[in-house]
Amino acid sequence: MRYSKDITYGKVNTDILKILEKPGKIYYFLLFIVLSVLSVGVFAWVYQIYSGIGVAGITHPVAWGIYITNFVFWVGIAHSGTLISAILYLFRVSWRNSIYRSAEAMTVFAIMTAGLFPIIHLGRSWYFYYLVPYPSQTMLWPNFRSPLIWDVFAVTTYFIISFIFLYMGLLPDIAAVRDKAKGFKKKIYSLISLGWSGTDREWRHHSSAYLFLAAMATPLVVSVHSVVSWDFAMSIVPGWHSTIFAPYFVAGAIHSGLAMVLTLLIPLRKVFKLEEYITQKHFENLAKIIIFTGLIVAYSYATEFFIAWYSNNIYEQEIYKYRVIGDYALYFWIMVIFNTIVPLLFFFKKMRTSTVSLLIISILINIGMWFERLVIIVTSLAHEYIPFSWGLYRPTWVEIAILAGGFAFFALLFLLFVKVLPAVSISEIKEQIEPPRKGES
Amino acid sequence: MKRRASGVLGIFSHLDLVVKTIKRLKEEGHQDLRVSSPAPFHEIEEVLESRVSPVRFFALIGGILGALSGFALTIGTSISWPLITGGKPIISIPPFLIIVFELTILFGGVGTLIGVFLNARLPKISLDTTYDPRFSEDLFGVFVSCPKEKFHSIAEILKSSGAEEVRFEED
Amino acid sequence: MRFSLSRRNFLKMLGFGSASTALSSCSSEPIDKIIPYLIPPEEAVPGIADWYATLCRECPSGCGLLAKIREGRPIKVEGNPHHPVNRGGLCMRGQASLQSLFNPDRIRTPMIKRESGDFQTISWKDAEKEILDILKTKIDQQKTGEIAVITPLIKGSLERLLKKWMDAFHIKNHLIYEPISYEDIKEANRIVFSKAEIPLYSIEKAEMILSFGADFLETWISPVEYSKAFGNMKRVDIKRQLIYIGQRMSLTAANADEWISLKPGTEKALILGLIHFILKEKLHSDLPFLELELIKGLVKDFSLDRVSSHTGVSQQTIERIGKEFSKANPGLALGGGIAVKGLYATDISVAVNLLNYICGNIGRTVRFGHEIGIGRVNPYRDMLRLIESIEQSRLKVLLLYNVNLMYNLPDSSGFQEAIKRIPHVISISQFMDDTAKEANLIIPSSMSFEEWGDYMPRKGVFGLQQPVIKPLFESRGFGDILLSLVRSIDEKQKGQIPWNNFHDYLKNSWKGIHKDLSPEIGFDHFWEGSLRRGGVFRAETDKEVKLSTKVSLDSKIDLKDKEDEKSSTLLLYPSIKYFDGRGANKPLLQEISDPLSKIAWDTYLEMNPETAVALKVVEGDFVSVESKDGRMELPVHIYEGIRKDVVAVPLGLGHIEYGRYAKQRGVNPINLLSKKTEEISGGVIWSPIFVKIERINKKKSLASTQGGRRQFGRGIAQALFFSIGKGILHLKTEKDIKKEIKEGKKRDMYKPHPYPEHKWGMVIDLNACIGCSACVAACYMENNIGIVGEREVIRGREMEWIRIEKYVENKGNGLDIRFVPMLCQHCENAPCEPVCPVYAAYHNPEGLNAQIYNRCVGTRYCSNNCPYKVRRFNWFSHSWPEPLNWQLNPDVTVREVGVMEKCTFCIQRIREKKEVAKEEGRRLRDGEIIPACAQTCPTEAIVFGDLKDPKSRVSKLWNSQRGYRVLEEINTKPSVVYLKKIKREI
Repeated sequence: MRYSKDITYGKVNTDILKILEKPGKIYYFLLFIVLSVLSVGVFAWVYQIYSGIGVAGITHPVAWGIYITNFVFWVGIAHSGTLISAILYLFRVSWRNSIYRSAEAMTVFAIMTAGLFPIIHLGRSWYFYYLVPYPSQTMLWPNFRSPLIWDVFAVTTYFIISFIFLYMGLLPDIAAVRDKAKGFKKKIYSLISLGWSGTDREWRHHSSAYLFLAAMATPLVVSVHSVVSWDFAMSIVPGWHSTIFAPYFVAGAIHSGLAMVLTLLIPLRKVFKLEEYITQKHFENLAKIIIFTGLIVAYSYATEFFIAWYSNNIYEQEIYKYRVIGDYALYFWIMVIFNTIVPLLFFFKKMRTSTVSLLIISILINIGMWFERLVIIVTSLAHEYIPFSWGLYRPTWVEIAILAGGFAFFALLFLLFVKVLPAVSISEIKEQIEPPRKGES
Repeated sequence: MKRRASGVLGIFSHLDLVVKTIKRLKEEGHQDLRVSSPAPFHEIEEVLESRVSPVRFFALIGGILGALSGFALTIGTSISWPLITGGKPIISIPPFLIIVFELTILFGGVGTLIGVFLNARLPKISLDTTYDPRFSEDLFGVFVSCPKEKFHSIAEILKSSGAEEVRFEED
Repeated sequence: MRFSLSRRNFLKMLGFGSASTALSSCSSEPIDKIIPYLIPPEEAVPGIADWYATLCRECPSGCGLLAKIREGRPIKVEGNPHHPVNRGGLCMRGQASLQSLFNPDRIRTPMIKRESGDFQTISWKDAEKEILDILKTKIDQQKTGEIAVITPLIKGSLERLLKKWMDAFHIKNHLIYEPISYEDIKEANRIVFSKAEIPLYSIEKAEMILSFGADFLETWISPVEYSKAFGNMKRVDIKRQLIYIGQRMSLTAANADEWISLKPGTEKALILGLIHFILKEKLHSDLPFLELELIKGLVKDFSLDRVSSHTGVSQQTIERIGKEFSKANPGLALGGGIAVKGLYATDISVAVNLLNYICGNIGRTVRFGHEIGIGRVNPYRDMLRLIESIEQSRLKVLLLYNVNLMYNLPDSSGFQEAIKRIPHVISISQFMDDTAKEANLIIPSSMSFEEWGDYMPRKGVFGLQQPVIKPLFESRGFGDILLSLVRSIDEKQKGQIPWNNFHDYLKNSWKGIHKDLSPEIGFDHFWEGSLRRGGVFRAETDKEVKLSTKVSLDSKIDLKDKEDEKSSTLLLYPSIKYFDGRGANKPLLQEISDPLSKIAWDTYLEMNPETAVALKVVEGDFVSVESKDGRMELPVHIYEGIRKDVVAVPLGLGHIEYGRYAKQRGVNPINLLSKKTEEISGGVIWSPIFVKIERINKKKSLASTQGGRRQFGRGIAQALFFSIGKGILHLKTEKDIKKEIKEGKKRDMYKPHPYPEHKWGMVIDLNACIGCSACVAACYMENNIGIVGEREVIRGREMEWIRIEKYVENKGNGLDIRFVPMLCQHCENAPCEPVCPVYAAYHNPEGLNAQIYNRCVGTRYCSNNCPYKVRRFNWFSHSWPEPLNWQLNPDVTVREVGVMEKCTFCIQRIREKKEVAKEEGRRLRDGEIIPACAQTCPTEAIVFGDLKDPKSRVSKLWNSQRGYRVLEEINTKPSVVYLKKIKREI
């Protein structure tokens, strides 16, 4: 896609580096809110460790609840970042360049947030390192047949690769910041810019590495959420044990992720006046993809119900009946409407062009996707094979506080990011705009 | 200590001029060029006729190592302490393949990173004296490393082909 | 001596562990050694358990116990297999008895009430002086008639000693009080057979049982004995049936082949109707002409149609029962349960007697001459007389021993006011219960585990009770208290009662038993043997009885029972958990949910769904229940096993005092009872009580352990039906079994486990299981399972490793309630194992699904993936308030917060026996290893053993025609096989 003619190389630098200037009141206000919410979450976790996991609402038989929901949700969020930065890169989708940076950053931060929840969820969080493959004195290693260990590997790999990928992209821009910065800041930036000086040699290896990383991130992103979905699909719990879970989860992940990109970009663009770089066109394209993923999700829902009916398996059928009209029917309907019906509004041009509607819809989808995970986890566990031990799950304030804390943690990381590093890629926008030419030959 | 190299640096503000200059220099038989630019440009790479980056091999080797260590870890540890779970065999390949896959990607990625660092001589402790902060903004630099006596002839070429600024670097 | 279980103290205990068991419970001077059940211990070795035979005194049935002693502390009790009453079985309450020994709320020292009304600790010397002063003054004033002694049912030596003691103090009035008694049966036997006693019922022999409100599997007379018999009866012939007649489907009714619900207070009519029918049809066994005429005369008005319309039971049903019962050879009709203890209690028992008589069951299944102990109890009428004499202040001194009259007597009896008017109330008690609180002087009496004693539940059964631990606190046995009191009055008495302590007295009085029973052997030998065995047991011969010519009963159908249409009938029943209320302060009994309601920690009003709809109440809504004599508010529990016009409340809770677990918990329905007694026997009128029920604006969530109430065709609790003539329907054939095994093999992807040595397996016979939950209690006590309390149970966090699942079916015989003991199935393809990231769960070489607590990090994935939902998670760390923690089993880890746990098939017992076998250099014998649940099961429904040994019982039952495995279709291959229940199709 083309940017307006009057954007020159120099302008790009000045405009984007403007973001990093001394923050204003709004910024500090946001920071304050985020920090206070986060501290509540931290307090809740400390309280939980101190007095026992029982202070959370999870119980027998619903032994997994909001914590695992959050884990799946945040891993999901991460995915669209990689989609935009890596997959669209491979397809040479030009409009990705100005939004991929924030998307990729979102990925890294989302994984960091997601990584917290399995640990919070543990009955004995202080022994979380038992899940790490290391030669303990008993020489008993983890059980590699357990999907939870797959998670450990998948999520760690995903974090490292995404981080490397983000950093690769950042290198030239950090250099740009460095060249403008003064004093102490300059020292820091020179350090993390690794002495990048934009020579042909650097560019050559850089872009080829960038390509390979993108090529590796693509199968990785698919594998990660497949693995996460197998946490459920590999069990025998009715409503979990399903072959379509992997693609269904990946689609869902990207669905929620794209929504989250919108939710982040719209205010970012507004606050930092990036209208020239992040244009309506970007949002429109994102909205179109969301329609698509929304349809995939809808299809998955339909398939689940069809299979439950077609398999004639009483346990499956009971579960799906329970989801629709049972104790958690409300959550179910939130999930269906927000994830499959609401995105269809993007078929109307008005809806995908007005930032307000974009923002609202994207938030609704985020809520919907969070509830999707909750519904999948809780309803199935609440209604398993043995009717005698059917039970209910009611979250407690501790879980709610930690849930909020998770969002705060993510927001905090992102807020810091936009002030410290260029949230829009300088060099890759330059790739897109016409380089300065004299014109005579 | 600054890395010093003897040569001439021409600073341009237009891509097409840079390309022309490189062409000319090459015709004149000056092979040892270093071009700095705010972004990667295929034009430049083409005229420089630089080899394809070897980073790909690092990625490949990393990947292979990853796969092997994946197998070693899963199978090795399962044998070292065989415990039956869920009536499955001690060496249950299908689940292990997932670990193998993840490690393949991980090592591949790390390999790539190493590849870049080695090939692009990163990280650098300090920048070249020939580096100009504006390169990261909108200017192009063409540095021709050559002995002192050639300075003037090259400066001529650079100036004539539209360099806005010419600097001499001597050691 | 107060203990706190610091490491130092524990080591101390290791030291004098053996000593403390060997010492007598009571006075300081050492006397006779107590003798372990098996081998006499040279020295009690730390780490090795000794077993001592003693008695269970949680209810009057007097079961025999074996107490397991580790490092000087009893840590578990089991039924004594030699004892003829329970024959190795033990009920929930028996299992929990150690919690009354180690109860944190026991009275620890003598106490006296100050003016301010609160109690002050005093020394034993002062306490005894207090008592003596009171008694002496009365003796001097010649007013010993103003003294009354009230005890629970005490039999044997203690009773004799008390007699002597009372003579020494010239005391006349002694009342034996048991809240639940059977004077109506006794009286009826006097009327019909001129033999005022409670007979022995041979349930084993019966081909058909008709129970008129007799809950003999729960609380009636001797539940463990009868449960055992019931199990055997079913084993002898699966087609033997039990028919229960009553307004409420009790646990016994739930185990019956048929529950016949009839209008309240019409049992008499039904029984007489049956007699009438049997005589009319000449189905009766041959009787002398005169007797025949006599009985005919009594039942002449009870023609089928009238009875049917009166009772609401269809004519066909009555005919069918009549035919089958008279055919049964022998049959057995039971009555006299609380459910029928109404205005006509005695008449009903009389009718039951007649029914048994004309069918020739007397002397076969109803056997006289055994003098069941409970028959000695004074009826309610006597208590009322006592209260009267208090009111007229003819009674000044009340000496109470372990009776909780304040709780067990209804307010209407006036006792609660009366007791305040007695100058001297001396309470010899173990707990600061409702009654002790009212006393001026409290003497801590020892628990049965701390004192010598004996108990004769019936003729020929002499149970010996030896102490298994030194008194934890400054308590003394009742016998010793009596002796030391008598010693400190004048010389003359000393001459008559020369014994220093109750142990001497006991031994002395056993000399008498020795003389009667086996004079041929030396006494010491006899004594030792008895101690080891837990007593001496002799088969008594029955006594012939014949119909008295003066048989009579109020033989007209009267319909005046029902008062007005709006009021409904309240039914009280003794809870299988708390019995008459004495179990209320045991956390274990509170925690285990009632087998039928599946509710723990509370009292509730059982109500038919339709009634609830009419009243617009749902589960957990509070209602006010108001009778003429009292009013109470309690939550509703919807139960389809009860008539529309009837509601029911279990006894046992609603204590004002009695310790932290019982205090102010639930309500006490006894206070709805009236002062009126049944005319003939003078018993309490338990039912019917007419009550007004109103909805009040209050609700709570009951601590129910039950989720879904039906099976939804999942075949968890399976049953087969049989019909007379056709035999059992759809029973598997050998061919089916072979086919199943073959298909089972085909289903597998991987080859089966090798199991080099053993493969542990379990078979549970649902036809024997009565859902009594004794196994649950045993499991708690054996495996140190945490008690979580009401709030956590409501959240579904109870820790039970084995639970009794209850399912309601409406196929076959109308309402059909089924029980399934559900425990870890130790699957061969256990879904819980592969999902554990840290190998905390794995399959061990003996087929056990092992759980390694200190590996567990608490992902709870295993619990999610367990289709049987038998894994339990420690949401918090549990605590056992001192000295409850003394009971903890040292062979089992106490789990900390964040760890998953579950049934281990009592791996510690497997280990123990394997070591024994190894030492003795032999293979394990079949039946040598018995998990706690199987051991205690009164009906022997659970069989455990080695499937590798083809001759073991479990292997033989493994491929039974009734066998099935729960959720077979998911191919987890459990190591637990269930045998389908057999029900009669009607």
